[in-house]
Parts: sequence; structure tokens; C-alpha cells
Amino acid sequence: MKVNNIIEVKNVSKEFVSPKKYPGLKGAIKGLFSNEKVRKLAVDDISFSIAEGEIVGYIGSNGAGKSTTIKMMTGILTPSKGECLIQNIDPSKERKKNAQNIGVVFGQRTQLWWDLPLSESYTILKEIYGVSDEEYKERIEFLNEVLDLDEFFTRPVRNLSLGQRMRADLGAALLHNPKVLYLDEPTIGLDLIVKDKIRQAIKDINEKYHTTVILTTHDIGDIEELCNRIIIIDDGKKIYDGTLENLKEKYGTMRKVTMEVKRGSKVEKLDLSALLSVPKDAYRIEEDNGNITVSFDKNKLRVSDVIEQFMKHMEVSDIKIQETELSEIVKAIYEHGI
Amino acid sequence: MNLKVYWPFTENELKRNLAYKGSFYLFMLCSCFGAFISYYLWMAIYGSSSTGVLGGFTKNEMVIYIFMTYITSNIAGVSIADYIDDDVREGTVAMSLIKPIDYRMSLIAKAFGTMLYRFFAPSLFVWIGLEVYKVTVLHMSITSVTYILLYLLSLILSCLIGLLLDFCFGMMAFVTTYMFGLNMAKEALMAFLTGQLIPISFFPGVLQKIFEFLPFSSMVYTPVMLYLGKYSGREIGFVFARQLIWVVLLYAFGSFLWKRITKRLIVLGG
Repeated sequence: MKVNNIIEVKNVSKEFVSPKKYPGLKGAIKGLFSNEKVRKLAVDDISFSIAEGEIVGYIGSNGAGKSTTIKMMTGILTPSKGECLIQNIDPSKERKKNAQNIGVVFGQRTQLWWDLPLSESYTILKEIYGVSDEEYKERIEFLNEVLDLDEFFTRPVRNLSLGQRMRADLGAALLHNPKVLYLDEPTIGLDLIVKDKIRQAIKDINEKYHTTVILTTHDIGDIEELCNRIIIIDDGKKIYDGTLENLKEKYGTMRKVTMEVKRGSKVEKLDLSALLSVPKDAYRIEEDNGNITVSFDKNKLRVSDVIEQFMKHMEVSDIKIQETELSEIVKAIYEHGI
Repeated sequence: MNLKVYWPFTENELKRNLAYKGSFYLFMLCSCFGAFISYYLWMAIYGSSSTGVLGGFTKNEMVIYIFMTYITSNIAGVSIADYIDDDVREGTVAMSLIKPIDYRMSLIAKAFGTMLYRFFAPSLFVWIGLEVYKVTVLHMSITSVTYILLYLLSLILSCLIGLLLDFCFGMMAFVTTYMFGLNMAKEALMAFLTGQLIPISFFPGVLQKIFEFLPFSSMVYTPVMLYLGKYSGREIGFVFARQLIWVVLLYAFGSFLWKRITKRLIVLGG
């Protein structure tokens, strides 16, 4: 079966050119007469395709080029090289036609009218996108269910709390039932309950309308809960593209076993390398107040073997096994690359 | 193009104007002040002149010119470039670009809201006041319906020229990303070129020809001269044609600039 790719990004690059700035007042004066330019490659030759109905996490450290890519896919910026095709439409050439098919939420901004009640903002958007009355009614009912818009539907947008405003913005992006939904840090600055609400809403929308979702975030929770696929970019380049499990499988192989042992147990006498016939540097043992922590790569040692040896030689009263957390993997990738 | 889509922008701007009454009246008062300064200045000039006619204007005509110019430039001079400047600096232009609407049309619709508001408050009242003054103090007859209609029709074209021209000018915000200084320079130049400060007929012959050829004179000078009945039948056709041509040209030029600018657009923030 042929997979229906709704988004095709082909070798896209974006270069920003800005006049060179010099430090200090003297520099500012010098800047008036200099014609030097600074070039910055924000996005460097990125390609990927996304199938209909996928939820893709697009992650990277600050300034990695996430937002720039989103802006090119939504038609706000024109790529310096390469092209994006959203449902076979090039947003840099047919921005308005593309805009009809997409919904966008920028967590840091609002697309609502600041001075108007939310209900009026929605009415304006209904006109702009040409949503019919029946569709509008149905959509509002659904959005109300997942986002609880009722409690602030008639209040002016400027009076909404951040959590309410974000829900309102998400609702606004979905009024016209877009095929693709871009979310640029949709949970930034929200409390846990609102975050949960937003995540649940995104899931529901994806299920009910089969909406394709692309999400940039710094919140690992968003990714773990929502995304079946992630793309990581760093310094403008794509460095990982695959499933979350795969990433964990590949880079998250460290295990940590913490055991509480009876006082007086002779831990130092236990020679794991001899007992399991592995080199000494395959694991690390730390002891702290009767708690023993063994860290190792699960491809080199088996968790069950390690525990077995300890149970054999001393009295173990409690065991805790930890996997590498996604946040640690991501942190390692940001810091050292793949 | 579905114009209905843009009405909310107009409506919203009208509401906003009504909400911030204080700043609006202050602005009106200040510009009214300017009109009165130039009124007294001209009266002094006429007082010390030996002939009653200067630059083709009688003293009474000059009174009408001053106040009609004030009304016209207030309405036709609503600045789109300010909106663009704000949009660019705050990065809100991105929020307009994700919607299936024409950016220029949405700005024009927005500016139209302010124009409508300014037409009723205070322009209409100043205008009525002027006509009353004209009849009671200056003992002239009231302006004929024909001239009023010609003026209104020309005013609509003036507004279009003003908006389209200011859109082109506003495109510079995308290049410089901040244009407070440029805006000031524009205001000063416009006061001259539109005939707001001095009627264009006061300039030397060559300059007059150049100024009349430029789009600025079609913004303020033309409608006011129509109102004063300074044009003959054939000239009326000519000035309207010139206004129309400028509307078409500026529209095309704006579209061209927009296409070029969006290619190198930098959206600030986030």
C-alpha cells in the first residue's frame, strides 16, 4: 500500500542575512557606515516526509531552527533553497491556498483579537475560513468538550489567563478542521492540569479527524505522550528521524539497578566481573548508606543476572530498576550530537 | 475575492477607535491647532498684501482651502505604514500570514475603519461648521451639491491612493525593521507635496508641474480644488483620470513589492 505523504520537505535551507553589528557606541557609529553582512544558516538542507495522521515531534535546542522550519512550512518564510509541499501545495507560492488547509498555534503569540470577546474572534475566523453554520456548530461543540471553552467564551481575550488563552488559540486553529496542525511550543508556561488537557485534546483531534500534527516542544512529557515519531535537529541539520522506541533502544541502553542491602554486607568482596565473566569497566558500582547502585549497558549485562548475583551473596530488601530517561537522552544529544 | 471576509477588520478598528477616545481627541485637537495656526498666518499674509488674490485664491477661498485640506488629509492620511511597522516589530505579521487572507486587503480594511470614524468625528462637524461660517460670516452661497459630490467621489480615490502609497512605503519596515525616523520624514514631505501646507498653485511653474504629476497632489490638493470649483469641465475629467491611474499604478507596484519582500521576509521574535 502506498503511504499517503501529506507533507514533503525537500532539501530545504534558510539563510538569514543581517547587517553586521559592532559593540559599543563607537561600534554603533561604525555600523552606520559599514556595509558588512552576517550570514547565518538557520536551516541546512533538511528533508523529511510526513504521512497523514501522524503526530510528529520536532525537537531541538533553542535556536536549532525548529521555528524557522515551521515558518517555512506555513508559508510565512520562503526557503532560500529547496521546497516544501503541503498536500502538493507550495506554501511560498500559494500561501493563501495552503493557509486554508492548515492550523497554526504559536505558543508565544495569539492569533485572536486582543480586544474582542473570544466568541467574536471565533466568528471572524469562521468568516475568514468560510466555515458553514452547521460545521461551525459541530466544531464548537467538539472543541467545548475537549477544551472547556464555555467557561470563558464571552470574555475578552486580553482578560484570559495563559492556560485559557492557549486553549482558545488551539480551538481557533481547529475551527476550519485543518488537515495539518502546526504547534510551536503549545504547552510553554502551562501548569500540569492545563498541559494534560491540551495533550488530551491533541490526541482526540488526531483520532477523530485524522489530523496530522507537527509539534515543537521542549517538554519531554509532550513527546512521550503524543508523538509516535520524532525528528531532532541541531544547528540547522537533521540528526535523528525515527520512532521514539527506536531512539530509546539505540541511545537509552543504560540501566540503573538500586538495591537496599542489609548493613554490614560486604559489597566490595563481590566481584561481578569474575562472576559474570565481563570486563571490569562494563559496570559501575556506587555505595551510599546501605544503598547500592549498579549502572551498566543492558546490551552487555543482563539486569536479571546482576540482581541474581547480589541476591545470592547478601540480603537484599528492596530493588529499583531505572531506564535512561528520554530527557537524559535528548540532553546528551543536544550536548554531544549523535 | 470575498470582501465580506475583511469587514471584521474594519468593524474591529472602529470599535478600537471608540474605545480609545482620549487619545483620539487629543490627536484631533493638536492637528486642529495646526489648521488654526495656518489660518491666522494666511490671514496676516492677505492683510499685508496689496492685491486680494494670491496664487489664484481669494482670502475667502483660502479659509475654505485651509479647513477642507485639514479634513481631507485627516481622512486620507490614515497611515497603513504604522500598522505594518507594529506588525513587523512585534512579529504579529506572522499571525496574519497564517490566515487565508490578503495582507494588504486586511490592512486597508483596518485603515478604512479609522477613516470611517474620522469622517464622522470630527470631520463632518468641522465641515458643517465651515459651511455655516461661510454663509453667515463670509456671506458666500453654500457649496453646490455637484461640487460636494465631486469632492466625495474624489475623496474616495484620495483615500485609495493614500492607502496604496503608504503600503508601498510601509514595505520598508520589512527592510529596516524599525521606521520611526522614516515615518517622520514622510510626514514632513507629505505636508509639502500634498498641498496641505501651501496650495500647489503657489509654487513656481516647473515645480507645480512636477508636484501635480506626483501621486501626492491627487491625495489632498485635487479633491479640495474640486470642492472649491477651481476646475473646468475638461479639467475635472482629467484630474479624475489621473487619480484613477495612480490607484492602478500604486496597486500594481504594491503587489510587486510585496512579492519581492516576502521572499526575504524576516519575522522578528520566536
